[in-house]
Amino acid sequence: MGSKKNISLLIGIAIPILMIVLIALSIYLPSFFAPAPQFNFLYVTEDNYGQNFQFGVENGVLVKREVKYPEHYIPKESRLFIHDVIKNTDREITFEDARKLKLDSRLKSPDGYEVVYGSTDYGFFPFFYGGHDYNAMYLKGHNTSKKLDLQASTDGRYYYRNRRFLGWIR
Amino acid sequence: MDKKELLKNIQDLASQKEITKEEIISAFENGARLDNGRGDVAPQKGISHILYYIGGAVVFLGISVLIWQHWTALNGSTKILSTLGAGIAAYITAVFLSRDERLEFVGRAFYFISALAMPLGLHVTFYVAGFDTGSLGIQSIVSGILLTTFLLSYFVERKTVFALFNIIFGVWLFFAFTGFLVGSRPGFGWEFSAYRVLCIGASLSLIGYYFTETSHRSLTGALYGFGVFCFLGAALALGDWKPHQNAFWELVFPGLIFGVMFLSVYLKSKSFLTFGSLYLIAYIFKITGEYFADSLGWPLVLVLTGLGLIAIGYLHFNLKRKYLS
Repeated sequence: MGSKKNISLLIGIAIPILMIVLIALSIYLPSFFAPAPQFNFLYVTEDNYGQNFQFGVENGVLVKREVKYPEHYIPKESRLFIHDVIKNTDREITFEDARKLKLDSRLKSPDGYEVVYGSTDYGFFPFFYGGHDYNAMYLKGHNTSKKLDLQASTDGRYYYRNRRFLGWIR
Repeated sequence: MDKKELLKNIQDLASQKEITKEEIISAFENGARLDNGRGDVAPQKGISHILYYIGGAVVFLGISVLIWQHWTALNGSTKILSTLGAGIAAYITAVFLSRDERLEFVGRAFYFISALAMPLGLHVTFYVAGFDTGSLGIQSIVSGILLTTFLLSYFVERKTVFALFNIIFGVWLFFAFTGFLVGSRPGFGWEFSAYRVLCIGASLSLIGYYFTETSHRSLTGALYGFGVFCFLGAALALGDWKPHQNAFWELVFPGLIFGVMFLSVYLKSKSFLTFGSLYLIAYIFKITGEYFADSLGWPLVLVLTGLGLIAIGYLHFNLKRKYLS
């Protein structure tokens, strides 16, 4: 068999393997050079019916707003959490304790990280597929992204993606 | 390859001193002996072979329906036994059947059953063990196990059925594992999927080309077809649509199309020519709809597109008649 054909087999097998290697490198290599995140953040899991947000940050302090729900509608209770970015763990906190925190509500932290939802990639026509976690959130910055182990937003909530970042703790 | 081509290839190889007279005589005698050995029960090509595989698929369907109907009644071990167990049993049966030349094609049907039943069996096994079988991690493990099994089988016996399922499981592993690595990471949108499909398209076409001079050449047509369909589909999708269009892919795409059409002549591949023509039609529709529908007006665009289609049809017909018939 001609060597040209052997080369075609080698390239045919090498292309997907090379792509796997490149993907792995693009994901894991920058994390070795990225600075460790320094700021923990406060977030809320809430009933986001009609985008009526109960909690917000004003002048660096957490505030609670009155939300009007439709008649006979029983909203789910909102819960506040502090996320430790180093340990990747949550700690629930009461509103009274949370309002004592000094918060920076800008999306990007002073050290260049932000909390974002992951991609919602279904593929494209006609190559559709599933398997993604649409509620996953990531700490993104410095060309890296790290999956956050946050309180599940689907437990007893009405809608998906009902976690909301409130602010970086200064 | 017809007889004339074969003899010409032998002449070429002999002139390059890559084949000896003894090798040709030995190959001829082996073939003649094999045919005599099969005698009256020699497997008939065509419909009987197809029936073997249809039979295999029906057996697999029966196993699936059995499990589906009695899912709640069966316990974990019975579920595993009737799926993974059936897959392994079919594989072992195929090994024994393949030892007898007269039953080799029946053996292939049993390999086919095992290749269909094993994925189901592994999914059931992982499900019974309490894993989320829909997760990309488990998909990677299942496809990895299957690929390893069939790759080892291929190294022992270079059967086409193993080559086929190695490709299928390999593609599955590639999509599952890259999906597992990336997860839902931000920054990996649908374009990431398009690049994966592009890679697989190129890869399948290249493997198809390699198979043209092996005993697996029956797979070449399908590999060319899937390969070029995936490759051009992904390239067209990467061009996206105004105002998010990607100028690079929109400009490169006609070059890829004509490259594929040129290759169709070189490779004598009807799949390349057909998909090249179809994607050229799709591209003309896309570009006219994207850029000229507002400026020229929709009726004029339709007229121009229609003329473009006639030109493509003429090109397709002539290339096929001149080079591929």
